[in-house]
Amino acid sequence: MWKKKIKKIVLFIFSILLAVLFLSPLYIVFTNSFKTQKGIFMNVLSLPFGPFFTLENYKEAFIQLNFIHSFKNSLFITIFSTVFIIIFASMAAWMLVRTKTLYSQFIFFLFAASMLIPFQSVMLPLINVMGWLKMLHPVGLIFIYVGFGSSLSIILYHGFIKGIPKALEEAAIIDGCNTFQVFWKIIFPLLKPTTVTVSILNTMWIWNDFLLPQLVINKPQWHTIPLRMFYFFGQYSKKWNLALAGLVIAMIPIVIFYLSAQKHIIKGVTDGSIKS
Amino acid sequence: MKYKKSLVFSLITVLLFSLFLTGCGEKEVNQTDGPTAQKETQKTEKEDKKETVEVDIFQFKVEVAKALEEAAKVYEEEKGNVKINIQTVGGGDDYGAALRAKFQSRQEPDIFNVGGPQDVEDWMDTLEDLSDQPWVDLALPGMLSGATVDGKVYALPFNVEGYGFIYNKRIFKDAGIDVSQIKDFASLEKAVQELDGKIKAGDLKDKYPLLEAVFEMPAKERWVTGLHASNAALSQEFDSSIAAYEAKEIDFKYADAYKAIIDLQANYSANSETKDRLVAVDYATQVDEGLAIERVAMIQQGNWIYGGVYDIDPEVADNLDILPMPIQGGKEDCIPVGVPMHWSINTKSTPEKKEAAKDFLNWLYTSETGKDFVVNQFFFIPPFEGYEDLQPKDSLGKAVKRYSEEGKTTPWVFMGYPTAWGEDVLGVEIQKYLAEKVTWEELVEEVKTKWTESR
Amino acid sequence: MKKNKGWFILFVGPILLAFLVVQIIPIFIGMYYSFTDWDGIGNQANWVGLQNYIEIFTQDEGFLHAFAFTTIFAIVSVFIINIIGFGLALLVTKEMKGNNFLRGIFFMPNLIGGLILGFIWQFIFIKAFDWIGAQLGVSALQGWLSTTMTGFWGLVILMSWQLSGYMMVIYISALQGIPESLKEAAAIDGANYLQRLRHIIIPLVAPAFTVGIFLSLSNAFKLFDQNLALTNGGPYNSTQMLALNIYSTAFTYNKLGLAQAKAVIFLFTVAIITLTQLYYNKKKEVEM
Repeated sequence: MWKKKIKKIVLFIFSILLAVLFLSPLYIVFTNSFKTQKGIFMNVLSLPFGPFFTLENYKEAFIQLNFIHSFKNSLFITIFSTVFIIIFASMAAWMLVRTKTLYSQFIFFLFAASMLIPFQSVMLPLINVMGWLKMLHPVGLIFIYVGFGSSLSIILYHGFIKGIPKALEEAAIIDGCNTFQVFWKIIFPLLKPTTVTVSILNTMWIWNDFLLPQLVINKPQWHTIPLRMFYFFGQYSKKWNLALAGLVIAMIPIVIFYLSAQKHIIKGVTDGSIKS
Repeated sequence: MKYKKSLVFSLITVLLFSLFLTGCGEKEVNQTDGPTAQKETQKTEKEDKKETVEVDIFQFKVEVAKALEEAAKVYEEEKGNVKINIQTVGGGDDYGAALRAKFQSRQEPDIFNVGGPQDVEDWMDTLEDLSDQPWVDLALPGMLSGATVDGKVYALPFNVEGYGFIYNKRIFKDAGIDVSQIKDFASLEKAVQELDGKIKAGDLKDKYPLLEAVFEMPAKERWVTGLHASNAALSQEFDSSIAAYEAKEIDFKYADAYKAIIDLQANYSANSETKDRLVAVDYATQVDEGLAIERVAMIQQGNWIYGGVYDIDPEVADNLDILPMPIQGGKEDCIPVGVPMHWSINTKSTPEKKEAAKDFLNWLYTSETGKDFVVNQFFFIPPFEGYEDLQPKDSLGKAVKRYSEEGKTTPWVFMGYPTAWGEDVLGVEIQKYLAEKVTWEELVEEVKTKWTESR
Repeated sequence: MKKNKGWFILFVGPILLAFLVVQIIPIFIGMYYSFTDWDGIGNQANWVGLQNYIEIFTQDEGFLHAFAFTTIFAIVSVFIINIIGFGLALLVTKEMKGNNFLRGIFFMPNLIGGLILGFIWQFIFIKAFDWIGAQLGVSALQGWLSTTMTGFWGLVILMSWQLSGYMMVIYISALQGIPESLKEAAAIDGANYLQRLRHIIIPLVAPAFTVGIFLSLSNAFKLFDQNLALTNGGPYNSTQMLALNIYSTAFTYNKLGLAQAKAVIFLFTVAIITLTQLYYNKKKEVEM
């Protein structure tokens, strides 16, 4: 018993140290968001208390980011993109796993290979095509995110689905379910851990993405948070004090989302279903 | 399962609702600030009934974005049937890429920016001939050279900028150095050595506790070393950016003087013993964390740093002035002054839009209201006549204007360098030189060869 | 399983459509441009055949250097990132207080990107390291990012910091899919932790390894933002990775045709590498 307890404590301390290490850059972000521009450059490592302490950055950043409006925009694009990715990627991945033909393998290969494409090389032709299709607006952007997010999400679902016993599906078919029902009633619930993973990874990337919104929806009424953040970075003058405060504000929704999403990964899902 | 369904369902409802709200935003917000937007909505909707011409501007300078939008608003009110949409490319560096993407998207802007002769040549098919515009005759001598091809003017100069050795007046004064005595390289070097001695002896410790060296040199910023610093030397060889643009090879006559400038900065920087570390020093370290907090006394930069330094320490900002970068054997008391960017009009836009665009730009730079914006809100030094009673408000703008009026300037020939030569060849070689990977002779050989190759 | 083409199209169709329009078609357009001298303006470009490709292999040392550098970087990073990521996942899936909180913390690095990330890490490597080095007398900690070696390791550290949490998330969901019963059975049979790890846990997590290695490999090869923000290829372009080299060719030198050719070469070579890895890993996966 003793040994176990010590082990636990050591592990705990180790984790805390690791956490501190990981957090140090964030510490820099956070503490400097409370300093004036001068304070930041005088001493980046110091705690903010002292002559350079200010809460103005947050106020100013909130206003300049037009936060409520850009938050709505970011939210709209992120959630819709993620939801569509989850729905369509999971469906596609399942069908690709269960269909063992050459073209299904080829399609999967295609999705995987596309992860290697550096964005810069497709950037201009992509904008050309989207302009031609007159899709340079928020919904068009969602379409683009689904297109780009498909690769990773399908790979993730693909890997996980391989671990689901076919027996379950076969049982459902015997019970009279059609393909659609088999997927939504049996498979999709089992994909929960992967769905949470997929939603976290995609949400994160889309929420913070700057390049695509800049190319597709760079009109003030559509501005997302990252787009507005870049107004802090001019040709020569970079307002770090505002940028850091803005970053903290922008991070809060995502952190909340991540922490609450984490709770939904339930252990031993397959375990339960096999037993029944 | 049920729980999930209702969760998704409610999410979608929330989003449809926000979609509805955002959709309304189409008309709602067209500015960076909130309150005035509402009024605008009603007005523009009414205007839509008349024949409103929409002009799309796609510009690169974040620092003036807000002021530009305000100027546009004023113009819209004056004219009544024009709507100006301004898109600014944030982030600082990527305008060339963003502009190409904008054109690819088939939503071509009516007004955009081009730089020097190379840009003008690249974009020639889209540039409207502006030779008949009123401001052409008002331009100061030489200011239109970067955008003139075959006698035709294709773009309006944005502003005028100048650079040199920007120094902190108070530090020099407190060190007992008389700046008016610095007239050439020899006297500059002497003053630098004197200041360096005082810093090392600790004489200025009380007043300037952070002061550790005379210079800071950002070798990481290859435009500073490869474009600007070299310009001081090469502008003695070419008399305009066009001349440089057409040159098939360079003599690099003043390479030694250029070396002297580089060495001076490197040897009297905080990294004088470890010059290879200069390769990691960037703009922020040199300006914000160098000059602005009085960690160094002098840097090679231009009047554009004023805003950033002011944000950190207004007093330091207001006590700055510019010394020349003396080229031994050439002009030793001038600073390079030039036009960094231009406004150009898309020749493929409709005639109404082009008219409106031309009118707006003309208004901006020649009307009383426009001129006020340009000088007092954009902090520009305009390259036109008619600004005699509108002096720059900031210390560095004043300095540049002073040099211009005294005729003590050299042109910005670097705008005519072969594409990427300044940064990717010369700038890189300077980095190698500082890290002692190449000798100066090898550097000169290499850059000369690469210039000839690119032509 | 009903092999019904209709269902196949219905299920795979929508996302395949988006994928084709957004990724595949632009790639083919880009490939077309790789045989021209396009400069990015307008759509007229002159056909130059294989000239760009030849130029890359005979004249462009920068590209070949970037290729070598990126490859080494990728191998080192993938190794480090996945070990750390998996280790973290193991750590936070144990019964321990504050697990959720810790998961949050290890994931946070992902939230900062772009210019801000570069600013922070530049500060850490140049100022913080320098200060620690001065205090402790360790000169190896000083002058970071001004040499190729320190630039390389700086990039590796930054990547590992950012991606480990990302990998951790993937490994967590895989670890949680392992039936507790299997682990208990093994423990009852007398297996200690390491043995359970080797014979039960790792084989069952194999699909996640496939994904993890593939992801970190592809991310490492494609690295752009962090490269730009941290070193900008310096010193003297020695830490310029492939994506930055391609970008520079495109938008600094305005040679978009050439850049597209580089992108094509890049794509094919890396595809071979990573798809070999995928194939190899997938063979080792256990399908239940």
